[in-house]
Amino acid sequence: MSESTSTNTPKPSSSVKLVLLGEAAVGKSSLVLRFVNNDFQENKEPTIGAAFLTQKCSLPTRTIKFEIWDTAGQERFASLAPMYYRNAQAALVVYDVTKPSSLTKAKHWVAELQRQASPGIVIALVGNKLDLTNDGNEASGEPQADGEQQPPAATADGDDAAGEPQEEQDATPGDARKVSTREASSYADEEGLLFFETSAKTGVNVVEVFTAIANAIPESSLKSGRGAGAGTGQTTLGGGRPAEDSRVNLGDRSTATAKEGCAC
Amino acid sequence: MEPLAETPWDVTISGTGLAQSLLALALSRSGKKVLHVDQNSYYGGSEAAFSLQEAQEWASKVNGDPEHYPFEDATVYLPEGTPQLPTRSYTVTLSPHLIYSKSRLLPTLVASKVYRQLEFQAVGSWWIHRPSGVDGTSVLYRVPGSREDVFADDIISVKSKRTLMRFLRHIGKPPPDNDSEAEEENLAMSLPEYLTSKFQVPAELHEPLLSLSLSQASPGQTSAEYAVPRIKRHLASIGVFGPGFGSLLAKWGGGSEISQVGCRALAVGGGVYVLNAGVESIYNLHQSDNGDDMRVQLHLSNDETIKTKFLVGSNWDLPGQGRPACDKVARSITVVSSALESLFPVTAEGGPIPAGAVVVFPGSSFDQSDDLPPVYLLVHSSETGECPPGQCVVYGSVSHAGAGGQSLIESAVHRLLQTNAEPDAKVLWSLRYTQLGLSSNGANAHSSKFEGPSSNILCFPPPSLDLGFDDALIDRVKEVWKSVMGDEANEQEFMNFEEREHADDDD
Ligand SMILES: Nc1nc2c(ncn2[C@@H]2O[C@H](COP(=O)(O)OP(=O)(O)OP(=O)(O)O)[C@@H](O)[C@H]2O)c(=O)[nH]1
Ligand SMILES: [Mg+2]
Repeated sequence: MSESTSTNTPKPSSSVKLVLLGEAAVGKSSLVLRFVNNDFQENKEPTIGAAFLTQKCSLPTRTIKFEIWDTAGQERFASLAPMYYRNAQAALVVYDVTKPSSLTKAKHWVAELQRQASPGIVIALVGNKLDLTNDGNEASGEPQADGEQQPPAATADGDDAAGEPQEEQDATPGDARKVSTREASSYADEEGLLFFETSAKTGVNVVEVFTAIANAIPESSLKSGRGAGAGTGQTTLGGGRPAEDSRVNLGDRSTATAKEGCAC
Repeated sequence: MEPLAETPWDVTISGTGLAQSLLALALSRSGKKVLHVDQNSYYGGSEAAFSLQEAQEWASKVNGDPEHYPFEDATVYLPEGTPQLPTRSYTVTLSPHLIYSKSRLLPTLVASKVYRQLEFQAVGSWWIHRPSGVDGTSVLYRVPGSREDVFADDIISVKSKRTLMRFLRHIGKPPPDNDSEAEEENLAMSLPEYLTSKFQVPAELHEPLLSLSLSQASPGQTSAEYAVPRIKRHLASIGVFGPGFGSLLAKWGGGSEISQVGCRALAVGGGVYVLNAGVESIYNLHQSDNGDDMRVQLHLSNDETIKTKFLVGSNWDLPGQGRPACDKVARSITVVSSALESLFPVTAEGGPIPAGAVVVFPGSSFDQSDDLPPVYLLVHSSETGECPPGQCVVYGSVSHAGAGGQSLIESAVHRLLQTNAEPDAKVLWSLRYTQLGLSSNGANAHSSKFEGPSSNILCFPPPSLDLGFDDALIDRVKEVWKSVMGDEANEQEFMNFEEREHADDDD
């Protein structure tokens, strides 16, 4: 999808560090799998610790290379999150639209990010498993392919299933939605978050989330620091090259060794 | 959360500093059950990076609990009238050291496949302060670090250039094929004596050459034996990863980033992490007591009690290990309101924009009678992500702990602003502290042999105070890794990993 490799006109490219946070089994890894491999697994195993993936996203004027940290939602990995969101430029905080407790957890993550992460971090609140709701069918624009639906509550990890309120019956039959779009989106508005409802299963809105994040990253944090412009003495020497030029590629070692040693 | 007590741990690592985190990386594919704890609420231990607010909190902790930190006398200095700074726009690091391109750390990070999570930037120029001429004004002079630099230099006289070239050619020579044939070079003298007697290098070039060795002692106190191989390293590192520079820094907080990458790798490999959990007490269990080989029982500060085969940490993360002999240096972190652009020229055609520079103020430049050690300022531009554009973070170090050393650093920073910044540039924030560790040319340098009170409690030696990453750390980590792996240790596999599935493959 986003791999438009127009080699003849290379666009400026920047990397964006992105972290996924959210309760266990809400579908963080599934969203990444959909975005990176356009694939879905019915019984995805819980993430252990964290996983690192990358994917490019092509915008009209530039290419964004997402460096994605998909963290484990299970409580025993809670101490890990700080080492992933530190210096992240974007965060995807995921909840499950069929599980109210997961929105509560998402709000905790948002608060922690606002307290601890870099001040400019772009946060997207994502309600996943939209396919399990009636809107899911409409939004995806395609009829429910097969009659068998996923059970509403996530199955991969039974941790908090017990304490869940089952009485919210505002949904129509066959609709497992327990978190209304309005509730989540008004919270997102208040906190200044991007907001999407997605389905990793059908792919609805998944690319859109990442594209919206890519677009929301401020230009200044893409071209960090001095590269940003300001006709300083530096730019003459830099020859107006893109800011990524301060980056040193360790992979270059082999090609560079020929000229090593300064021949003194 | 499942209690930690239920798992029979193979290894418990205490502390998330660089040594422990590299060990975490080394064990990340071992299949061992690893518990990694830290008494602090943050990762990175003595190599952590902080927002300004966190740095302030760190300073109070260091002063309040000296047992647990290899630091002393930490104070934050806020000049009067400075506006409130946006604390999280800064990442100041306790480990700003540079990494030479020839350091074994870099191939280690490549072979262990974690280097793609790091962003490296060039440390470009070495500057040295020198008085210039009659009017008493001073300037920074760019130390020639390569033959090209020497040619281009318009300050050194032709005659001096010739002596310098002779020295550079000498140390650039590849070692002779047959060691026994090689005539042992006599290095048992100070660097100035060596330079004068062997190459007639004039005195004005001694301090600049010394600065390339990152020696924290005065010229007279620095032996040729110490300095010459280090100057060699400097020269041999230039051009390895691109033209015009020979050392690197990790963006977003230097050593702190590298330790986080190590911890992340172990987390991906199934290691369990718990912050705010220090090791409070250790009981050695006798093998016969419980039949299995859980030899150590630990009580953690989060009130859990666990059993583990091995326990690894440092003197500051393990109880009852006593205090090792340490050197002390004065260090400071200073945010200044100038981009100091002139310090970061691109040093060769096609080279990257350097994000770091080294500025040296020789002890002799302080107009004091003593044989003072030099002050080093590692200057990081905003490209490092450590501060907003238009500012720099200046990391000062001098091997003269206490108020005296702090005032030397302060005066060096002040003069740096005078010579290279706009007239209104000033200090916005500063953290000053004393750091304990092993200086690379101090008396304790060689007593740093890895030690443990028993074969299953392993204690890393105090951290190196070198301004460049000290490769000896990798050897220490390897020793511990070998002890922990026992019969399974296969040297070829140390830090040498396959790409994980789903890993990046498009670079
Ligand atoms: N119906 C439906 N199921 C989904 C969707 N996304 C994920 N799932 C399922 O939900 C379960 C959990 O998905 P994961 O992607 O592993 O969840 P996670 O958030 O990564 O979980 P942890 O790694 O434990 O934190 C799996 O069985 C998925 O197949 C979705 O959009 N719709
Ligand atoms: Mg997952």
